[in-house]
Amino acid sequence: MTLKGFMSDAYGGKVRKKKRIEKKTGEFVLGFEDFVQRLGEKPSRDEVEELVSSDDDAIFGLIESASPLNPREEKIRGYLSGIVAERSSKPLNLAAGNFAGAEMNSGVIVLKARAGGKTPPDHVGEKMRGGRIVLEVGAGHYLGQEMEGGGIVAPSCKDYAFRNMKGGWGVVKGDSGNYVGVGNSGGNILVKGRSGLRCGWLMHSGKIRVNGNVGEYLGLMMNGGKISIGGTAGSKAGWRMKDGKIVARGYGPEVGVEKVGGKIFRRTSD
Amino acid sequence: MSALDKIDELVWALEELRLHVGQNDLQIGDRGANSQLYFTIANACVRNRVALLYGGMGANKTTLVNLLGCAFTGQDFDHVENLMVTGHPEQTEEKIVGFIDPRQWSCTSASLASSGNEPIEVLWTPWARSQWKVINEINRFPSGKQNLFLELLQKRKVSYAGKTLELGDTCYFATMNPDFSSTYPLDEALLDRISVSVPATQPDFLASLALAKRERDVWELADLLPRLSKDEFESLPDLVNQVPLDSQTELAIITLLRDFTLCERAPSYDKTQLSGGVKPSRGLCAECHYFNNPEVCCWQVDEGLSDRARQDLRLYTKAMAYLFRLSDEPKIEVLRVVAPYILWHRVTPNPALLERPPYYGAKRLEYVRDLVEKSINRTLNERGEMNVTFARAIDGEISPKEAIEELSRYDDPIARLDYIRALERML
Repeated sequence: MTLKGFMSDAYGGKVRKKKRIEKKTGEFVLGFEDFVQRLGEKPSRDEVEELVSSDDDAIFGLIESASPLNPREEKIRGYLSGIVAERSSKPLNLAAGNFAGAEMNSGVIVLKARAGGKTPPDHVGEKMRGGRIVLEVGAGHYLGQEMEGGGIVAPSCKDYAFRNMKGGWGVVKGDSGNYVGVGNSGGNILVKGRSGLRCGWLMHSGKIRVNGNVGEYLGLMMNGGKISIGGTAGSKAGWRMKDGKIVARGYGPEVGVEKVGGKIFRRTSD
Repeated sequence: MSALDKIDELVWALEELRLHVGQNDLQIGDRGANSQLYFTIANACVRNRVALLYGGMGANKTTLVNLLGCAFTGQDFDHVENLMVTGHPEQTEEKIVGFIDPRQWSCTSASLASSGNEPIEVLWTPWARSQWKVINEINRFPSGKQNLFLELLQKRKVSYAGKTLELGDTCYFATMNPDFSSTYPLDEALLDRISVSVPATQPDFLASLALAKRERDVWELADLLPRLSKDEFESLPDLVNQVPLDSQTELAIITLLRDFTLCERAPSYDKTQLSGGVKPSRGLCAECHYFNNPEVCCWQVDEGLSDRARQDLRLYTKAMAYLFRLSDEPKIEVLRVVAPYILWHRVTPNPALLERPPYYGAKRLEYVRDLVEKSINRTLNERGEMNVTFARAIDGEISPKEAIEELSRYDDPIARLDYIRALERML
């Protein structure tokens, strides 16, 4: 018998196509501490996903048991939350933590208050590409930073929300901190309450809508996009603005100082 | 009645007489069986292989082997018990294999010549002359004395005082306890010559109830067991050898061996070449891209497997298929059941994995069973295309260069370290 004949006989003519060994998936881990020890200093989401089990319950158990000690471990926990959310057909209910939903592609995460948690979670939805994150607690700093797609809803947030946002949308149902939408280049942001200073700073494109008042330096050095303010803007709105459009009910002193381009309008009625 | 019918009757009688009441922990098809009993019987059906029964005290290891000795060799229980050698530090070669007959010292050569007798030199012990050899508590022999068995299994003959005894076709059985204070570790080379190792467990609740109903002594009940005739006993190896192995099972056996043996960092990619404490569990695999990949077996055990393991896998798969009357069926499911028992004593699991759940550092057989499953499943389900590509190149249907290009896409140790290297030699 030829070797091909032997193989054909062994497989009975039923050779499955294009199967390859899967790399580093499904390794059994004892707990979150054990899991983080197997990853490098700066693990990427892909590295975490390669190491993680295919059992969603096991990953959920890892997230639940996690007590991250440093930003690296917080980030790993965040990656895990995104991975489980992507695999789950139902919304994933989690205790709020830093980096929750980081780099997630799809799925829904609902972040609930942590028992005894006093500090709002930072970096929620960082670099996310799809899916939804709904916070039932106020967000900390860097909400939706560098996000490319998907959407985030938060009751409130601190500084640098949606910084360098490239796509997707974000809704803050209450007030936001300073620097909302800094460097925004394609995302849509709605703040239903008030916003702090330098909203839309260096914005390139996309939209920002704030229903309440905003602080000084609105649209500072922006070169594209649209900012709409339901209330009034602080001083120096549109300072050194190059392009884009700002609309507000009223402005503080020195509006449009050193403006190079773009348009600033005063709304007379909603 | 055929020899196999008699064996079935023997199994039934052992249970009915409460001489062996282990649970059915082997499952082949829809039939369950007790591993301790069936592997011991399988070993009685082949020759010159060693079956090791491993377990705590009173787990019916020695008694079972002696009972089967009665049934297969047709001798009574007392006689079979006397054939056994038991390990302890004071055991000597003279007590085990034979000694110089002291009578020869009182005879002159003239008187021997006048009586027409040949000089009496060595008196071989009943154990040395028996076709049914039991080495009881093998790990109570000090390491140096274990070498006697190594030589015996290697050469299949025994020498003493310049005389040699051909052992002929023999059934070897050994028993051992776990590590106790007065036991000695078994040498790796001796372990490799042990073909199959079976855990002997204590009777469970129902088995204990059944044993409580045993009213007579073992030696009395042993007389009631069916006996195989000499011809039937001697025909068993041929009957086992006549069981055909299908290509699928042959392929799974070879790839199983390669999965355990190949190592990218070992000399000639062969893990059996490693020495001096260099092994996967001691950092050999650090940064290797196969390391931590649960689908790949190489880093999960320290040792490679010798060709002896391949022979044993084939032989015991055949023997078990014979006992289960599956001679005409595909044997892959039999291999799945048999292989862990052939391999688990030959390899050392990676402690980092073994010590975790679900093995807890103790379930070594289960650990090896999981690896065997992985290897066989991958061979059957995922390696088909790769294997056919290699086969087509070997048969000249495609060029080696073309096959190498195709096989380079497979991140599989067998493709990279076996197939591609073989094809490169053809360029």
